[in-house]
Amino acid sequence: MDPFNGEIIKNSFTALSDEMFEAMRRTSKSPIIYEVLDFGVGITDAKGELLAMGSGIPFLLSSLETLVKGVIEKHSPAGINSGDVFISNDPYHQGAGTHLNDCGLVMPVFFEGELVAFTSVNAHWTDVGGMHPGSMTPSARELFQEGFQLPNIRLFRDGEPVQDMFDLIEANVRLPDMSMRDLWASIAALRVGERRLQEVFERYGKGDVLDAMSDLLDYSERMMLHELKSLPKGVFEAKDQIDEDGQGNGPFKIKVKVTITDDQFLVDFTGSAEQAQGPINVSPLALSSAVRCVYHAVTNHSVPANAGTFRPLEYICPEGTVFSARRPAPVSTYYEGMAHAVELVWKALAPHLPDRLTAGHMVSTCVTIISGLHPDTHNFFVYVETLPGGWGAGHDKDGVDGTGCVANGETFNIPVEVKETKFGIRVERYTFNDEQGGGGTFRGGRGMILDYKITSDFATLTTVFGRHKTPPWGLLGGQDGTCNYAKVIHPDGSEETFGRAAGINLSKGDVVRLVTGAGGGYGEPDKRPSDKVLDDIKNGYLTSDQAAKEYGVELESQ
Amino acid sequence: MRVATDVGGTFTDLVYYDYDEATGQVGEIKTRKSDTTPPNFEEGVMNTIDQAGIAPAHFFFFAHGTTVVINALTEHKGSKTGLITTKGFRDVLEIQRGNRPDVFNFYFTKPTPFVPRHLRREITERSNFKGDIETPLALDELAGIVEDFRAEGVEAVAICFLHSYANPANEIAVLEELKRLNPELSAVASHQITREWREYERTSTAVLSAYIHPITNAYLDSLERRLNEGGFSGNGFVMQSSGGIAGMAAARRNPIAMVESGPASGVLGAVALGQLIGEPNIIALDIGGTTAKCSLVENAQVRLTTDYRIDWSRTNAGYPIKTPVVDIIEIGNGGGSIAWIDEGGKLHVGPESAGALPGPAAYGRGGTEPTTTDAHFITRRIDEDYFLGGEITPDMENVRQAFASLAKRLEVSIDEAARGIIRIANANMVNALKLVSVNKGYDPRDFTLVAYGGGGSMHAAALARDLNMAKVVIPVNPAVFSAWGMLMTDLRRDYLRTNLMLLDESATSEISSLFDSIESDARDDFQAEDIEADSLILQRQADMRYIGQDHVVKVDFPDGTITEETIGEAVERFHSTHEKEFTFRMEHPVELVTFHLVALGRVPKPELAKISSTGRSLNDTVRGNRLVDFDMDGIHETPIHERALLEPGMVLQGPLIIEEPATTILIPPGAYGEVDNYGNIHIHLEKQD
Repeated sequence: MDPFNGEIIKNSFTALSDEMFEAMRRTSKSPIIYEVLDFGVGITDAKGELLAMGSGIPFLLSSLETLVKGVIEKHSPAGINSGDVFISNDPYHQGAGTHLNDCGLVMPVFFEGELVAFTSVNAHWTDVGGMHPGSMTPSARELFQEGFQLPNIRLFRDGEPVQDMFDLIEANVRLPDMSMRDLWASIAALRVGERRLQEVFERYGKGDVLDAMSDLLDYSERMMLHELKSLPKGVFEAKDQIDEDGQGNGPFKIKVKVTITDDQFLVDFTGSAEQAQGPINVSPLALSSAVRCVYHAVTNHSVPANAGTFRPLEYICPEGTVFSARRPAPVSTYYEGMAHAVELVWKALAPHLPDRLTAGHMVSTCVTIISGLHPDTHNFFVYVETLPGGWGAGHDKDGVDGTGCVANGETFNIPVEVKETKFGIRVERYTFNDEQGGGGTFRGGRGMILDYKITSDFATLTTVFGRHKTPPWGLLGGQDGTCNYAKVIHPDGSEETFGRAAGINLSKGDVVRLVTGAGGGYGEPDKRPSDKVLDDIKNGYLTSDQAAKEYGVELESQ
Repeated sequence: MRVATDVGGTFTDLVYYDYDEATGQVGEIKTRKSDTTPPNFEEGVMNTIDQAGIAPAHFFFFAHGTTVVINALTEHKGSKTGLITTKGFRDVLEIQRGNRPDVFNFYFTKPTPFVPRHLRREITERSNFKGDIETPLALDELAGIVEDFRAEGVEAVAICFLHSYANPANEIAVLEELKRLNPELSAVASHQITREWREYERTSTAVLSAYIHPITNAYLDSLERRLNEGGFSGNGFVMQSSGGIAGMAAARRNPIAMVESGPASGVLGAVALGQLIGEPNIIALDIGGTTAKCSLVENAQVRLTTDYRIDWSRTNAGYPIKTPVVDIIEIGNGGGSIAWIDEGGKLHVGPESAGALPGPAAYGRGGTEPTTTDAHFITRRIDEDYFLGGEITPDMENVRQAFASLAKRLEVSIDEAARGIIRIANANMVNALKLVSVNKGYDPRDFTLVAYGGGGSMHAAALARDLNMAKVVIPVNPAVFSAWGMLMTDLRRDYLRTNLMLLDESATSEISSLFDSIESDARDDFQAEDIEADSLILQRQADMRYIGQDHVVKVDFPDGTITEETIGEAVERFHSTHEKEFTFRMEHPVELVTFHLVALGRVPKPELAKISSTGRSLNDTVRGNRLVDFDMDGIHETPIHERALLEPGMVLQGPLIIEEPATTILIPPGAYGEVDNYGNIHIHLEKQD
């Protein structure tokens, strides 16, 4: 094959997954798709090996492969026909592996009568039924309370929708208009991918395109093996804990052993706690996305993610742990457990990979759900957001201030002016958290403080704030950071503080204070250059007393 | 005389023509290029004028585009800036939006704020989302802040208060008090630049405006002084990012609007050219030394965006500026783009560029890496003996050497390597063209490609063919097309105001009074610049959305008295535009989010001179023949024509090359070109009937 056409074909896979991404974003009706970008699109080869994908969050790296491979496994290549579309939201088997909200679609692509590839989309639907609106509920004790299940079944046959399926889905979601639209948005994205891929086949011929597919995977594997050579070799271990599961249980001890050799990156979670009663569990399929995420971050994240990229990666976890839960354990807030899995590997490697990893960060998505009535329109609203927090310090830099945790990626906060208008809620302040913590030669990034004043007569609050007992870890002598928490302050001055809690009743005048902590520090605080300490005093991150106490820097009297 | 100058990163371009304001006699368009002269950019401008042998005393109309603003921002060479915010919100500037675009990078850094925390000061005040002041402004707190700023050497102050888009009163009060306390201090309040909601974006806009305000004004002062010394007494204008021009005084008040002046004028040039030749639907493509830029124009309307960011990339959030900017996509693929092979053996072209220095290997100025321009030499698409009109003799030995190691690693010949690099560069640019068209719901087949910049005409035909577009137009003087565009634009100012309201019959009077108030602001502004009321055109637009949705769609709002019918019409326009961009419509109520008024002050523009035909034969325009490599279309003995000799009506059958001093036009086998009355070349990709 002409080497240049080979490159152009390979680049076209990325371009077409970008186009699928844009098609999905443009045609979706739900903020969680077009604002939070909680979806993944991409293509695989005929065996289900990932060729290219686009996603706004980093936690879906295996989802398309487990979906497509599930279809091949259940329906067998001979049973898959042109015009089929399959749907699955199963976290445990032949699905995206995350939670029931993630509805995955798979479309086979044929060229000259041969099955040559699949296009696939995995998108978070705002609601899939279950016990509470939004389907993600900290109080669920089993999967059945988190929504309906679509076990890898046909949605289209011969290019025609299976109407019974559409009727069934529509009857089981709380927001049928939104969910059916997202379903069609997913189908639009699948079709864009299929059409573009067929154009590539027509232009360059089947042989060359199939060759380019396998070359691409080999190329990514080569890039990663090259990268592995430069990583430190050996066995690296870490321990940590997930503070609680939202139902008062915990802590859950977690443990990892990472073994890096010249050609393998092995992650072993043996010894981690048993699965939780609450929905912080990670299914074995989702754990695969977790290890891919952290492996990609510590090797070379500029190499595009495809099946070849992950060939040198292996992972082990005995069944039934918090990272490898068994059906029907609840998993709707899987991202909390998953963020811990990712950060645990990070913790094991951080001392050895100073160019790529920092001290510990806030870990938790710090999701807040407030519902109530707009004081002017009296319309009922449900408001969901994540809160940015502090990242850890590194060997040559202070931690990043106020940024979404590892589970979030291209996820935007909601502007104060927008939420005040839309929900009539009042924001009293939105600032960095100056609470002392995360000191070091390089200090941890600042967390946030966000104060809401409740303006309607009645409102409810649900919070998913992890790391509210165990602070982010410091590195090489750096201090630990500070904890995340939520607090309600009543007009009479009384207050309650908590991490994960569901359905707290609020009334007018209550202040909800949401706080994320500082990231961990790096290196001994007394080695911090005094000009940086003075800068921190000047910028209000430190008081002069703290500077003297933590850093041994005395402010010269004026 | 009408004159435009465009200061680019490498060159400063000059385009001018004689126009007798009394008789209407129009002269030939002439051009000049000389080096850009940082940091005193006005030197380069005056140099081109001097070299062209013309004098400012004769300029009736002088338009100017400049990279001064964007350079100051990207190189962080503006003024020391302080920020004043609502109490409780000084960190908004640094929190940004909390996003992390480089999702797998755990060692990322956020863009550093232009104002450090200790220079971000809070003042007691608060408005609610309706614009009602709930906490009065504590103006007495300002004196201490100004004193601290003075002690810190702050030169410029930005002010941004919550919900000031709805009610700017407190910002105005602070501006006035600042002026009283320290008249020397430069100050910008957010509402002066943008009245759209979203506090981070507005704060960032105010900060970046304040940051470049003093130096931009100093630059415009020096430029004006130099022109005046040359006897200039005409009308001076500055190109705006929105694709219009502004008078010098208005430009001084809002200098951030110049941030993308060069690229915007190219797109405006394409619109003007389209109107001249009857092509309202255009994709404009500008290929320069480092990047390729493209923008889509439908019905002669440029697409504007206020979601503009500097330093943005797929891995960096950048800094937002909410000033209206022509919607342009830019990719790192130009003539100087370097071809390289990574550790895994993959060939890339760009985004690294040899730039102007050392430049491509052919320049012989120390460049040793193979670039796209060098590939054009190997394929003999560019003439070794006529490079930049024969001014530079390319170092072909250096070019071949640059290709040798690349070819060896790829196990191909040097010729094959060169062809491959051009093919990959083309594929990259096709992807960019798809981003502005296919990915936004447009079919490229409904558009004509207008290609300019030094490299546009080398690649345009191949790109158009790839996208099944029927026609490419290469304008006259494509290398200085952006400057030409400035001669063809009108005065423009955009007024955007966020004010949410449900779009139904009950909103009639409210919409009416809002448009009235904005329109009266516009009339006042233009009157202050002595623009006659009858040359003022006001176009109403509105950003709308379905209730509950977040993304908005821009819709032309009907003119005239607002009635239930006009509102119905606006709603219907919204539904159909939404369907085009997002593929569906809903039964939901529609909400108006941001009022947008485009105010255009028509600048009288003489009709362009047509070129005359002497009846010269096509053969007489031939400079010679050479063997040219058209990659997949084969290697052909190709006639080379001199552009300056071409005349209207000539038909140029591909394979064929047209040369002019600053660029080369490629007509591949199977395509043909036609010369129109103004000298533009229309390349038809289909075979001639």
